[in-house]
Parts: sequence; structure tokens; C-alpha cells
Amino acid sequence: MSLFKARDWWSAALGEGEEFDQGCLCVGDVDNSGTGHDKVVVGSYMGMLRIFSPHTNKSSEGGVADAQLLEVQLQNAIIQVEVGKFVSCSELLHLAVLHPRKLSVYSVSGTAGNVEHGDQYQLKLVYEHNLKRTACNMTYGTFGGVTGHHSLCIQSMDGMLMFFEQDSYSFGRFLPGFLLPGPLIYNSRTDSFLTVSSALQLESYKYETLSVATEAESRQDPDLPLKTGGKRLMPDWTLVLGEQALDLSVPSFSHSSASIFVLGERNLYCLRDNGQIRFMKKLEFNPSCFLPYASVSDGITNLLLGNHTNMLLVYQDVTLKWAAQLPFVPVAVRVANFLELKGAVVSLSSEGHLLCSYMGTDPSFFTTPKVDAREADYEQVDAEMKKLQKVIREVTRTQGGRPNSLTADKITSTYILCLLFKQLTEVFSLVVRCQKYQRLTEFQRFIFNYYIYLIFSVFVFFFFSLATIWLKFQTSNHIFLFSGVPRVLQSRFSLPLSLVCVPSSPTKTTKFKITVDTNQPPVNLTAIFPEFSSKSEDKDGNTLAFQFLSGAKVTVLASKTSQRYRVQSDSFEDMWLVVKELVQRFDQHFAKLGIKDFKKSFSGPLPLQEYFLSVDHHFQLRVNAQQYQDLLSERAVQFRAIQRRLLTRFKDKTPAPLQSLDTLLDATYSQVMALAEAAEENRAQLEEAFVRLRSATHLLVLLLSLWQGLTPDQTAILEATLLPLLQDTPQLGWEESCDAAVSHLLRSCLSRNPKDQATSLAQAGGPVLSFPRDTERLKKHIALMCDRIAKGGRLTLASEANAQVPIQVQNLAAPGKFGPEKTESQIRCLHSSSSRKSDHDIFTRVSIITEPNFVHLTKKVSFSSLLGIFSSFIMTERVWFCSRYLALKRRFV
Amino acid sequence: MEVTMDPLFLAWSYFRRRKLQQCSDICAKILQDNPYDQSFAVSQCLKTRALTEMVYIDEVEVDQEGIAEMMLDESTIAQVARPGTSLRLPGTSQGGGPTPAVRPMTQSGRPITGFVRPSTQSGRPGTMEQAIKTPRTASTARPVTSASGRFIRLGTASMLTNPEGPFINLSRLNLAKYSQKPNLSRTLFEYIFHHENDVKNALDLAAQATEHAQFKDWWWKVQLGKCYYRLGLYREAEKQFRSALNHQEVVDTYLYLAKVYQRLDQPITALNLFKQGLDHFPSEVTLLTGIARIHEEMNNISSATEYYKDVLKQDNTHVEAIACIGSNHFYTDQPEIALRFYRRLLQMGVYNCQLYNNLGLCCFYAQQYDMTLSSFERALALVGNDEEQADVWYNIGHVAVGIGDLTLAYQCFKLALAFNNDHAEAYNNLAVLELRKGRIEQSKAFLQTAASLAPHMYEPHFNLSILSEKIGDLQSSYTAAQKSEDSFPEHVDTQQLLKQLRQHFSVL
Repeated sequence: MSLFKARDWWSAALGEGEEFDQGCLCVGDVDNSGTGHDKVVVGSYMGMLRIFSPHTNKSSEGGVADAQLLEVQLQNAIIQVEVGKFVSCSELLHLAVLHPRKLSVYSVSGTAGNVEHGDQYQLKLVYEHNLKRTACNMTYGTFGGVTGHHSLCIQSMDGMLMFFEQDSYSFGRFLPGFLLPGPLIYNSRTDSFLTVSSALQLESYKYETLSVATEAESRQDPDLPLKTGGKRLMPDWTLVLGEQALDLSVPSFSHSSASIFVLGERNLYCLRDNGQIRFMKKLEFNPSCFLPYASVSDGITNLLLGNHTNMLLVYQDVTLKWAAQLPFVPVAVRVANFLELKGAVVSLSSEGHLLCSYMGTDPSFFTTPKVDAREADYEQVDAEMKKLQKVIREVTRTQGGRPNSLTADKITSTYILCLLFKQLTEVFSLVVRCQKYQRLTEFQRFIFNYYIYLIFSVFVFFFFSLATIWLKFQTSNHIFLFSGVPRVLQSRFSLPLSLVCVPSSPTKTTKFKITVDTNQPPVNLTAIFPEFSSKSEDKDGNTLAFQFLSGAKVTVLASKTSQRYRVQSDSFEDMWLVVKELVQRFDQHFAKLGIKDFKKSFSGPLPLQEYFLSVDHHFQLRVNAQQYQDLLSERAVQFRAIQRRLLTRFKDKTPAPLQSLDTLLDATYSQVMALAEAAEENRAQLEEAFVRLRSATHLLVLLLSLWQGLTPDQTAILEATLLPLLQDTPQLGWEESCDAAVSHLLRSCLSRNPKDQATSLAQAGGPVLSFPRDTERLKKHIALMCDRIAKGGRLTLASEANAQVPIQVQNLAAPGKFGPEKTESQIRCLHSSSSRKSDHDIFTRVSIITEPNFVHLTKKVSFSSLLGIFSSFIMTERVWFCSRYLALKRRFV
Repeated sequence: MEVTMDPLFLAWSYFRRRKLQQCSDICAKILQDNPYDQSFAVSQCLKTRALTEMVYIDEVEVDQEGIAEMMLDESTIAQVARPGTSLRLPGTSQGGGPTPAVRPMTQSGRPITGFVRPSTQSGRPGTMEQAIKTPRTASTARPVTSASGRFIRLGTASMLTNPEGPFINLSRLNLAKYSQKPNLSRTLFEYIFHHENDVKNALDLAAQATEHAQFKDWWWKVQLGKCYYRLGLYREAEKQFRSALNHQEVVDTYLYLAKVYQRLDQPITALNLFKQGLDHFPSEVTLLTGIARIHEEMNNISSATEYYKDVLKQDNTHVEAIACIGSNHFYTDQPEIALRFYRRLLQMGVYNCQLYNNLGLCCFYAQQYDMTLSSFERALALVGNDEEQADVWYNIGHVAVGIGDLTLAYQCFKLALAFNNDHAEAYNNLAVLELRKGRIEQSKAFLQTAASLAPHMYEPHFNLSILSEKIGDLQSSYTAAQKSEDSFPEHVDTQQLLKQLRQHFSVL
């Protein structure tokens, strides 16, 4: 990120497909012209050696060719080029070129041309050394304090330092603990060599030490003791960097700033000569190369730093002074003085882009791309805008912000569904008939089919997962698609009984019996249940037996003489469906025959005891669930406590015996898992029990209504009272909500004292529903309610009735006991039927009682998901703990 | 002319130039060709390094607290920390923090920062429910379930770099042997830690290596500390980092140690540590940034800005500092100055949706209307995902409200909701617009949605309170006002409303 780019002074693209790296660039007055102007020497991995003398020559056209002094193709790859006094008895600068297996020193000379084509340059080989090992990099300097000429030191790929004094090979030494080569540099102030080894530390070797160390002609195993004499090579000092270094540099400008610079992969270090850190800087990018150069003020070093985000940064110690953008990632950077420009930055990219630049305020390359703005045709845009506005207005008006309201005229394209379930051996087939199906688009058809499929699969799932079938009707969602907006409409229909049961042989002796009376002559049962008749053995039509898919059997007996029908079964709950079906079919049957005054009744007594069995069973399972939860939390606490103790034991410096804590941990863990499984099982049982309870309740409601001949309204109230919940939850169960509703009824419309009725409604916001201790109270209330209904209490929802006509009610209620009460309830009945809205109000009010709990419920996660979260926690805990445990164990054992 | 080169040298050169894939390929070829050579170990080491570099992420920046770490943390020391000493009670600032009326808050109760960092969105939620709702990564709304899980996923992702299976089979590795070899052990450790993300083995190796180095090598102690940190053993990590600092002062160690203290909820200690680090490494940018971040998280915006300015003095291309100072200027009613900062970012080559969005807002509030819409246009052209798009439309909606074009504003907020259905601010503003149209029910519904989506915002609560009060529902007005007071105790209007309501109640 920078504001400016480096200003281009001179640039050249070298070769094609050639590769360059760190050592391939050097600057210096290589042809000893004596002017003090630097030339740029570049060697490539492909063996091309080029020398440039950059200048801006505006008149000539061939800029690059004009500046190029020399281009030679050498036999081998060029790894590194250096300029120095490499020839003995000569003060002139020579060019050392490092090939993988050879070191060559050349002299470069120029002879002035006579014509205007310019000077002629030549490359002359002075001497060369063939190397036994593959070279990696080299450094030069006045080793051993010799003045006047430079010696060379080459590092090989396998860690040997080879020293050359001019044209003679002096000695070679292996670096200890070598694996991969690092950068190498000679520090003339301390006469030592610096390198960053594979141990990621900076090591300093004195030249003196190196020269007296063991001669290394063959590679030796560093672990074995040395065979011959001589000292083992030890570094003078080391400094752990903890990262690989890219480059080292020992600038020598003045004595006050005697320091070593190390460019690591993530940090920049500046060290003193004895290996102490002067300062360091954490780099927030990947650096590629660097070069310290002299600063104007003393004691401060300037630094050029190239990075992999194409930037050239100028630091003054740790302060960023300038950031310039380069067109490439530099692999090497130098500062050079040219004829027209002093202190130009020479940078080289890996692909061979050579650039001489200087810092300037040219804005950065980055220009924001244009947004694909359309040519604005204002009239057209206006028209489009108007059109869209109209559409939007239309939509907002018709929807009125309420997207769920369906207007009647839109339902013209209703898809009438007819769902037919056929029982084919065991597979259900679904036939969906849809009017106007052909007029749907492809997408709509897909959605439609998909939803039907979904509903069907949900239904089937429901069906087989439950032991007791309580399903009476299935709600179906019909999808309406007007202009692509999906809508939902519901319709209800009954499912055929044959879906859930098959005919079977009747059983004589059963536990539970229910007798239904009618006022019409007995009918043949096979006529009532035609689909079951064919397989029935009994041909006279007096008995019929159903077997549910879950296994329970229900037998229906028709009395030959009286007008009674008996339903009997071993399980109380399962009778509901049959009784209901029976009653319904009677209604249909006699309606078909045209008999108006058909009456059916139930002569009691109500099977309350059987019903309470079912209630108790459900309640017991709820209690169990609660207990499981408590146990589970207890065990979890225990588990964590053991974990904590174990952990402290492992963390302890002095290892102590475990005292079977690990066994305890395992045992607790398996206990937790077993408990969780048991709780899951219990939950499944609870679900089943609730379904059975619902069936039983439905049966009770049915019988009650038959018994007392309740009107449909009253039956609905009763049903709402006894079945307030569709689902049982651990926080809010059937018992307490049913109890609340029943006691409300007892206090209001079934109350003996009319005064109570008025007052009880005022204190509607009773205590928060909580888990009851036992079911006695509920049973008592239900029994009482049945009793009161039996005694003629009529169910109404007459809060407004009470409130509006209090005087009337009281007047009527005051004198008598039995008679007036009846009239009173009749009045109330009138009211409730006249204003149907009022009962709705009551129900919202009733639901207010339960509201605090509902809020509570939504806040908490339901038990099963809580359990899931909990067990997953336990699992993660365990995994986490095990990893800690193992790590610590290994450390100390 | 073709010139042959030593493949190992070429690989080494590629590695130095960060052409890591080529380096790894050459190494694989060497390993295949001569598996028993001396160069085997060398190229294996080089390949290990190359693979590590491919997936290297600075450990200092990696910081994600998962639900498991937050909710199952039992090392809590003080539940109710004194104001100004904890990151968990951010609302209690002493030094000139902006009020939420001026600068929006994040869910954890901190003012919105100018620069998204991994830790800016964290903050400990009080309840499980809130923890599940709080998004902790920058882009997804799903909270991180557990940090270890995430690292395992990172580990499997790194397998993609070598499809034929793991390069080094860790289970067969004799760690004890390698810990004796200093020239291999560090490379191997970095590979295990960064590439394989196998903290357990890495810890093993580090423990043995530090023993071999006679507990004198600072680097191994830092690595041990890193492993302990990943395992959640913060106190052990602290011990190792402290010990490493005794051997050698290194910037990274300071940063790691400060990270431990931040995780332990000791921001003051972390600040002191940073200052101590600054004594050794004067004007180190990363340390200064660390201080500024802590100040910002503690809602001490003015100090944070000071330190960000210091950062800029050292490194004037520091994007985070520029962005934070810019956003601070914007929220302190100096959009012109903020505009300059953001323009600088633009000139530096930052080119994304967020920047243009901010530029657009600054231009609007600095009354440079000509640039506003074109900036937003660019922002819309650059959006990367639906959340960004929703935010841009939300801001355009603000501009529309500012110029009084309520129809446009309404449509903008609707668009914001179309792109991001959980945009609570848009719901709130939409509710206000609906109220102006007289649709009280709709407005109420929107406000309730906004309040349930973002309980930390005081605006929907306050609006709901006013609305309920107007339609005479004093009870819900009172509860809403109380919620509003909870999330913004200093709000004067809320307090007045509450006072008024209490008077009403006492009269009744």
C-alpha cells in the first residue's frame, strides 16, 4: 500500500525466460574507469553475463543497447557475481563469477573507440578454480586482516566453506550441524564469518578458529569423535532467531554504527558485533531483499527493503520514511552512483526486469476501475422508474403490508386436492388430484409435488413411529402460487379407518367395555363398516373386531335384541378411535336413512378409574424424566470435579499416584452416557404415553358428551379444557395446564356459588404453573368436573355474560337450588352462542395464565436439544481433556 | 542454450523467492529419485519448510474464542471486575468513550471499530442463548463451536496441498530422536504446529527439545507457550513466555504474552507489558497497535486514537491505524477529516466495498453531495456478499432519510432486509417510517423484531416504549423503557420517559 511509485529512471528487460536470484546483481566500477561511476553487472541462471552503464540518452533510440557494455554467454549457470580486488599485486577491481562447479575471475576492460560507435569492452579470464562440490554462495573480504586485496570464501550446498586466496585454494572447513545453507557474510571488524544455520540461529565463526580447525577433506559424521588432530569447529557466538534468514549484511560506514543486519522471514534484526540485539522490527509482510546504506546523520542506518507485495520501503532504523511501489517483486536491490544520478536504486526481479529508479511523488499505479455505468438515457430511466414505482405501489396496496391475507377472488385458482390413501398390502400409495394442475408452470408443479411428497412422508413417519394411533385427520397444506408468491392454505379431512387397522377375530373376554345406547333398532355392523365386512368370519353382523397396526385389538358387539352396542378391548386408549368412528358412522348411516331424531347415549358410569391409570402412567414418566435430568446434572458435576482433580494432579511438578481417579473418571463417563441413553428412552416412552393419554382424553370427552348429551359447543369447550397442549414439554406439562383449566371451569361456570363466578374471573392471573407433586388434585378436579356436569352444570364461557347481566343472573340464582341453576345456565348458553367472539376472548385470557411459562419455555432450549448440546459438550470436553491429559502425561512419565 | 543446475540448489533458490509450490515439486522429485542419498534429509527439510510457509499464519493474529471455551471456562476469577480493569464490562469506560447515541455498539457492547479483526466481534456473552446468537467470525453468522475444531479443519485444509496423503506421518515419528537434532527440530516443529495443526505432538516435541537445550533456549519456550495457549492452559503459557523473555527480549514474545493476558481478561497487565516492550523496542509498530487495540476495546477511544497516531508516525502506510482514526473522526462529527483519511486509503490502493461505503457516508455528512451517490454506486458494484450489500443499502437509506426522500428510504431499508433478514437497524428505521405512515401495528411488529434481533441496541426499545406510551399501553411502554435503560443507562430521553411513566403509575 503506498501513495507513490518509484520513479523510473532507466529500465531494461533482460533476456527471455531467464531466471535471476539474490546474487545475480552487483554494482561497482568494474572496468576501472576511474570516474567513480558504477556499472551494473547482472548474471543469470542461464549463463548470460551482462554489464550495463545506465544513462538517459534522449537522442538515441536504442536505449538499452546503448547502455549495455557487454553481453557474454558463459558455459555454466551464474549463481553469484561480485566485484573486488581478487587478483594479487593489482589494485584494480575484478569480477568474480560463481558457477555451480567453478569459480572464475575476470577482468573487464574497455578501450576507447575511434569512431562514434563508442567504446569496446572485453572480458578476460584471469584465473578459475574448479570446485569439487556444488557451490551455493560466496562472500569476499580481507580475511585475516590482510590489506590491499580480497579473498573469497565459497559455501557449498553440503556445508563446506572453501577459502581462496587469489588464485590459490587455501583450505576448506565443514560447518558443524549443517543441513541447509544459509546466507554467508564476512564481518571485517571482528574478522569473522556470519551465517544462519539450519538450527535457525545466527552463528559467528572467527577466521582464526576456522583456519586452525580440523582439515575437512572428506565429510565426517559430526557425531563421531574426530580422528585427526586439530580443534573442533565451534562458533564464536550464536543467537537464536527462530526463523530462516533471507539475507545478512554488515555495512561499514562509520564506527559508531557498527552493526550487523539480519533480514529474517518475519523480522528484521540489527545486532551489535558481539551478537546482542540493538533493535528489531517485526515485519507485517514477506520481505524479499534488503540493503542497508549510509545515512546522512550519524548513528542511524538507512535501509532499503523490498517485499512480496511489490513495494520498496525505506526505513530509518525502525521508522518507515518512504514507501514506493515497484512494478515487480525485487530479488536484489543495490544503490549505485551513475553519471547523471547519484544514489539510484537498482533493483532486479526474478524474471529479469532491471530497474534504476529514484524516489519521487509520482502517484501510484492504482487507478480505480470504472463502474459499468450505463449511459444514462434520462427519459428511458424516468420511464423505467415510473413503471417500477407503479408496480411497487400496486403491490403495497394489494398486500397492505400484510402478506398473509388471502382475498377471496384470488382463490379462484384453488387447487382442490383429493387425497386418497389406499392400502395396498403394506405400501401406501397417494393419489393427488389437482384441478388446474396442467396450468401450473414447471416450477410451480415441482413445488407442488414436492410439498405433497413432504406432507405425505411426514404423515407416514408419524404413523409408524407411534404405537397408538390417534390420528383422526391430517392437515394438508395447499400451495397457492399467484405470480410466484407462495401461499399456504389448510384443509382438514378424515382419513379412513382402514388405514390403521385390519379386521381380525373377535375376542370375548376383555378388560375394558363401553356400551353405547341408541334409540333406533340395531343395524348390521357390516353395513356400518363395509370395508371390514368381507374378511369378517361372523356373518350375522353382530360382532366385528379390529386389530390396530400396533397390535391392540378392539371388538364391537351389537346386541341382537336391544339397541346397544358394546366396544371392548384390552387397552382403554385404543377404544377411542373405534368408538368415535362408530358414533360418526351411525350419524351418517341414520342421516342417510332420513331419521331425524336419532339419539345415541352413554349410560355411564364414566370409566374414570381407567382414565386415571393412563394419567398416572404419564405422570410417572414425567417424574422419571425429571429424576433423570437431576441425576444427569449431578453426574456431570461429578465428572467435572474428577477432571479438575486429575488435571491438578497432572499439572503437579512432583508426580503423585492417581489413586484410581482415572478409573473413576471412566466410570462416571459411562454413567453419564448410560443416564443420557435412559433419559432418551424415557423421553420416547413419554411421547408415547402422551399420545395414549390424548386418546384416552378424547374418549373421555366423547363419553361425557354422549352421556350428558352435550352440544358441539360444549364438547369443544370440554376438549379445549382437557387437552390444552398439543405437545408435552418438561417445563409445561399436561397435568398442570389441564388442572388449571379444569379448576378454572370449576370456579367459573361449574361453580355452585354464582358469586364465585364473578370473582374468580377477576383473579385470572393465578400463580405460575409448576410441576405438580402428584396427580391427586387433578384427579379430584376431573372427578368433580364430571360430577358437576352430570348434575347438570353447563359449560359456557360466559365472562361477558356474567359481567353484562350480573343482576339478572343473581336474581335467578338466588332462590332455588336445582331449577334456577338450569335456567341460569340456559341464559348463559344463549349468550355464549349469540356472541361467539366472546369465547374467543376468554380463551385468550385463559392462555394468559400460562403465558409466563411459555415465555420461560422459549427462553430455554427444550429438553431433548438441551440433552444433545449437553452430550456434545461432554464429548468435546472429553476430547479436549484427553488431549491435555496425554500431553501432560507424556511430559512427566 | 540449456544450462543444467543442481536441483537442490534450484529448490533452495525457489524457496528463497517464495515460489513454494515449485520448490515443493522439485523436492518431491529429488525424494523420489534418490531416497537413500544424503540429499534426502536435506530436501525433506526444505520441503517441510516450503509446506509450512504455504500455510503459515502469524499466530499472534489468530484468535478466535469458541463457544466451548467461553461457556465452559471455569477459571473465572472475579465475576464483577472493577470498572476499567476488564474487557468483559466494556460499558464502563472512564475516558471519554462515545455514547451509543453517537457511535453504534456491537453486540458485546463495544463501539464499532474501524477495522475488522478476528477479536473485534468477540466478547463474552452472558448466556448460552446469546452465545449461540453472537457471530464470531467476520463473515458467517454461525458461531465457532470450539477453537480446536476450527484448527482441525484448518489442518485438513492443509492436506489439500499434498493430495497423496500427509508428507510426514506424525504417528511414526520418533520425536525424542528429532528433538536431539537442533538443525531439524525447529523446522519439524513449525511443520507440525502450522501445517498439521497437531498441537499435542508439537507440545511433545517442544517439551523434549527445551529439555535438550537445558531450558536455555528462548525460542523453544515461546513455542511451548504457543502450544499451551492453544490447549487453553493460559497460566502455563504465561510462565513459558515470561521465562523466554528473561532469556531474550523479542517482540513476538511480548505480543504472545499480551495475548495471554487479554485472554485472561487482564487488559491493564497487557498494557503494562506492551509499555515494557516499548522500552526495549522503542516505537515498535506492532506493540503500539496492540496498545491502541486494547484501549479501543475498553472503550477508551481518545487514548486509542493517540496510539494510532503514534503508529502512523512510525509507519504512515498502516491501514488499520488510518481506518480507525478515520472512523473515530467520523463518529465525532468531523466527517471532513474522516474523508481525508479514507481518501488516503483509497490512494494507497485499498479498493473495496467498505471503503467506498464509508467514503459515501463521509461525503454526505461533509455536504459533498455530488460524490455521495457515485461512491455508493461503486460500493454496490464491489460488494462481496449479501451482508455487505445489506449494509450499503442501509446506509443509502440513511442518506435518503437525510434528504427527506422517505419513499426511497423505505425502499432502501426494504432492500437491506431483503439481502440480510437479520438487519436489526433496518427494522428499527423501517418501523419509524411505518409509524410516520400511521401503520401502528406494522411499526410495532418491526420494532419488536428489531428488539429481539439486537437486544443490545437501545433504539428499538426506546421507540417501542414511546409508541406504546402514545397508544396508551403504559405497562409495555414501561418494560420497553427499562430495557432501553439497561442497554444505554445515560440516555436522557429514556430517563425522562421512565420518570413520566412512574408519575403516571403513582397517580393511578
